[in-house]
Amino acid sequence: MKPLLRFFTRFLRHKRQLLAGFACIPLAQLADIGITVVIGTALDRLQKGEPADFLPGLFGIILGLSLCKGLFRYLQRWWIVAVSRYVEIELKQELFDKLVSLPLSFHVKSRSGDVVSRVTSDVENIRMFLGPGVMYTLGAVVMVPASIALLFTHNATLALTMLLPLGLMALGMKFFTPRLHTWSEAVQESIADLSARAQENFSGIRVVKGYGREQEQARRFEAASARNRANQVELGRARGLTHALTHAANDSTFVVILVIGGWAMIDRDLPAGQLFQFIDLTFKVFWPLIALGWIAGMYPRALASARRIEELLNERNPVQDPLEPRPAQPVRGEWELSSLSYTYPGAARPAFQGVSVRVRAGGSLGIVGPTGAGKTTLLLCLCRMLEAQGEARLDGVAIPRWKLRELRAALGYVPQDSFLFSDTWRANVEFGADAPLGEERIRELAHLCAMDGELAGFPDGIETRIGERGVTLSGGPRPRTAIARALARDPRALVLDDARSAVETETEARLLATIQGQSAHRTVILAAHRLSSVQRADQILVLGRDGRVEAQGTHAELLAQPGWYRETWQRQQAQSELARL
Amino acid sequence: MSARKQQDEEEDELVASKAWDSAILRRLAREARAHRGLFLKSFLVLATLFALDLAGPYVWRHALDGPVRAAVEARAADPGVDTDPQVMSFLRWIGLYLFIVLCAVWMRYLEVSTLNRTGQAVVHDLRVRLFRHLQSLDLSFFDRRPTGSLVTRVTSDVENLNEMFTSGLITLAFDALKVVVLLALLYALEWRLALVVTLGTPFLILVSMVFRGGARSAHRKVRARLSRLNGYLQEVLQGMRVVQLFGREERVSQRFGAHLAGYLQANLRTIFLFALFFPVIDFVVSAIQGSTLWVGGLEIAGASLSYGEFVQFWFYLAMLVSPIRELGERYNVLQSAFASAERIFDVLDTQPKLLPAQTGTSAQPIRGHIRFEAVSFGYLDGLEVVRDISFEIRPGETVAIVGATGAGKSTLINLLLRYYDPTRGRVLLDGLPLAAHDPESLRRSIGLVLQEDFLFAGTIRENLVMERAEVTPERLTRALEASHAREWIETLPGQLEESVVERGASFSTGQRQLLAIARALAGDPRIVILDEATSSVDSNTEARIEEATRELLRGRSALVVAHRLSTVRRADRILVLHKGQLREQGTHAQLLEQDGIYARLYRLQFAEAAGG
Repeated sequence: MKPLLRFFTRFLRHKRQLLAGFACIPLAQLADIGITVVIGTALDRLQKGEPADFLPGLFGIILGLSLCKGLFRYLQRWWIVAVSRYVEIELKQELFDKLVSLPLSFHVKSRSGDVVSRVTSDVENIRMFLGPGVMYTLGAVVMVPASIALLFTHNATLALTMLLPLGLMALGMKFFTPRLHTWSEAVQESIADLSARAQENFSGIRVVKGYGREQEQARRFEAASARNRANQVELGRARGLTHALTHAANDSTFVVILVIGGWAMIDRDLPAGQLFQFIDLTFKVFWPLIALGWIAGMYPRALASARRIEELLNERNPVQDPLEPRPAQPVRGEWELSSLSYTYPGAARPAFQGVSVRVRAGGSLGIVGPTGAGKTTLLLCLCRMLEAQGEARLDGVAIPRWKLRELRAALGYVPQDSFLFSDTWRANVEFGADAPLGEERIRELAHLCAMDGELAGFPDGIETRIGERGVTLSGGPRPRTAIARALARDPRALVLDDARSAVETETEARLLATIQGQSAHRTVILAAHRLSSVQRADQILVLGRDGRVEAQGTHAELLAQPGWYRETWQRQQAQSELARL
Repeated sequence: MSARKQQDEEEDELVASKAWDSAILRRLAREARAHRGLFLKSFLVLATLFALDLAGPYVWRHALDGPVRAAVEARAADPGVDTDPQVMSFLRWIGLYLFIVLCAVWMRYLEVSTLNRTGQAVVHDLRVRLFRHLQSLDLSFFDRRPTGSLVTRVTSDVENLNEMFTSGLITLAFDALKVVVLLALLYALEWRLALVVTLGTPFLILVSMVFRGGARSAHRKVRARLSRLNGYLQEVLQGMRVVQLFGREERVSQRFGAHLAGYLQANLRTIFLFALFFPVIDFVVSAIQGSTLWVGGLEIAGASLSYGEFVQFWFYLAMLVSPIRELGERYNVLQSAFASAERIFDVLDTQPKLLPAQTGTSAQPIRGHIRFEAVSFGYLDGLEVVRDISFEIRPGETVAIVGATGAGKSTLINLLLRYYDPTRGRVLLDGLPLAAHDPESLRRSIGLVLQEDFLFAGTIRENLVMERAEVTPERLTRALEASHAREWIETLPGQLEESVVERGASFSTGQRQLLAIARALAGDPRIVILDEATSSVDSNTEARIEEATRELLRGRSALVVAHRLSTVRRADRILVLHKGQLREQGTHAQLLEQDGIYARLYRLQFAEAAGG
């Protein structure tokens, strides 16, 4: 309960509206009870044989009361549910901001589906329970005792005996709810199983068909579906029992009223109108009680969701700004790495190790090596996306002593996957800049990155949406846009993680030339698959398959010695020759 | 391409689909025909329940107007009179009422469980049929669709249909019946009161329908904005590196905030509509009740209506309101179910493009003589990936395909596996087209190792056996031995029963390759199709894979996309593919002699492995 109470304090931030909504609950319920009382009294008067000329006035009173009831019900719902939605978006925003602040190490280890479900369904579970859930509970809390108290004044025995079925229902619910819970979990699991099987089959369809396993797969799926069906049927039974039980409680209340009420009428202790009140209030108490059962069923899920969300909100960020940051001054872009290494949590060996190298301001460093040698990891350590062991200094100041914001402001990063947002081309480039860029600067960047040709072909030029609901950029234009974005921030150091053959050879040459030209005053650190990309670098670092530094030197030096670099260079040269055949 | 597809789907979902489509309904009825018995039972339960619901108030009226009134009147005439006969009669009515209530409770249990069972029965059949149908479709179907949307078809779309059967169609039909019967009963009871109700009912229906229209468009907006919100969240999670590296945390947070604001706005509109709907309905009901009381009161005062009749009337009136109130809700359920049904039938109506193999056409043992005759193929119309390819693999021969990336190597494998049929030319096996072979014996004769071989969730044993009858324990042991997979499997805690997680993520690339080879070997196939993995593994594993591969190819007809020098060298013939065409053909030595493309490829690809 505690975590849920903590979330309820978020609702109290909208105190005025929430309390006004709460205040409307008893008013609406009392108006509702009032209608029953008015009708009951009228029936009594009729039974006593009073003249019927009060009936038109009675009609007016009933309309008036039901108008009040309607108004308060409307306000109650409008205010309370709206507050629950405010809390929902505040919570989502908070979670989002938390996620954005958490370091790469968190995002690597958590599955994105799990994170998304915390922000979506977990928040919804809490909202439902604390918003509409609490509203219905309060409604029942007012309605049930008030009705019973009213009936108590008419006929104490009858009112008390009416409680009996309710008690029975509560007991029965206690008995049936675990069953409901068990089967509903079984159903969730079997549905998840079905969907995992389908997913697996569709993504592995080549193997399935290659081995002619369609029939067997279908049979297994059928068995899984049959299990789901069996669980569903059991859940249906459990639901049926609960459903029957609630109605049994309701119906047996009517039995009680008929037996005791009828008897009292025979004994002339109970006027007809009061019997009517018993009947009508039983109708009115019934639905709030059902709602209570529904809310009780939501409780365990809401609690689990609250725990999961708190866990995320309490997630600590180990990457923090230093207590004594480096004093603000222009960045030169001089790097010095000494015996730098990084090991992923739980990995057997370091992703890369023993990297020691100096890059002068405005100089360039190429990083090459086979897939899995730790090139990307090394780049991420330089940006403090990962916390490396050993020492990396920028302008003579150790990376952890930089304010994160300043460090990253000095870097222009081009990620390996050239991730772009589903937005306009212009917005994607401006993402790199601190302020909106002028039309001219955008065009200049487009030209620098050899994008002018593509942009001319786009329906809306630089304002064309790319990605989802827009033009899909592929092959070359994607990384080139990512490079434009990095250049847009005019960084001291450009950090490029070049994907395997992401940029076509022809444009690659031109692009590299512009980067180098543009970068006369910039430091460039470039991890590359194609060796021709790094051949002009001041220094080239060759990482081996095991993450160790295999060789280090200029292009000419590396070519002069046997090893991975020379072999790969020859192979790639031949390859491009072959492509031109 | 994929963005385009996604957009279409999103819009599909939002397009106002029909709430009533008799063609789809007829088709669903056909699907459900097998479960006639269950449907009949559901109807019987609902009908009995309804009858019991009606009988309750009837008992009330007769108990109140009969013994109770008689006793009250007798007492009024003579306070000392003996009312025992009336009490006895009253007790009989109570006994009857109790019986009715007990039956009704039982029926309520049956109502939920039977309707659910009926829906689930239909859903299970449809789901399995859909899955079977999907298995029969060819790869080009899967190429064009994101896996997620196919999963949705067999999960939530089918689930929606359950709703259609349980809280949709059957209940709707019964609700309509209830309204008609109740109105008729009200007229039979007291036509003037019934007239008052009849005058009020259209208002109820009107409010319910107007609300439904508004609520649906508001809901659609909420859904659209929510999906945009979640889409953005997912995008940011995916691009978190970029966000953080560029220090744009605040910017994306604001952007998310803007999405949230739009979502909130749409939500407030639905809250408003719902907050308004129930009070308005209640108000109309109160007005009807008030006027009933007015008219009824006059009649009670004029003694033309008994108190018991009034109570019965009141009960029936309460029963009349709820189906009308829920009309809008049912409508929405139907609508979303129709949309799902349409998507499901769309898949079921898709016919495989490949002609089905004729069963039993040629059940002779397969020798493994493969011929490609002037084969051309393209995945997209007018874009041929391979052109005019002819070659032959005689039984027991290994033929290696080499070529640069994108030369069309994997396509040849796809054609031999009959994932696709050639656009021109023929692929023959033992002199017959692939389609003329019995699919079962064809499958049994082929062993397949794909570049990124796929492991299924389950145990290692299950992945190796793949439920093939021909894989006996002895064969499995031999395959494990020959593929060198046994050594490391024995180091696992569960050995062969060790479980394989999603796609075998817990194994290394090399281990997965060994497993794939063992899987192929276990079937002792006549034909081997091997797409060698390019990803690098440590030299120890590399040596084992090399040996395993040799074992796999020995004595079998094999088509190999080769990346290993050892494989190429041992091949009986090498096909050199370049830009979709077969440019050179011959043994390693012949081709080196020729000093053409192969010689060059050899020098650049295998120079390293050959030791410089």
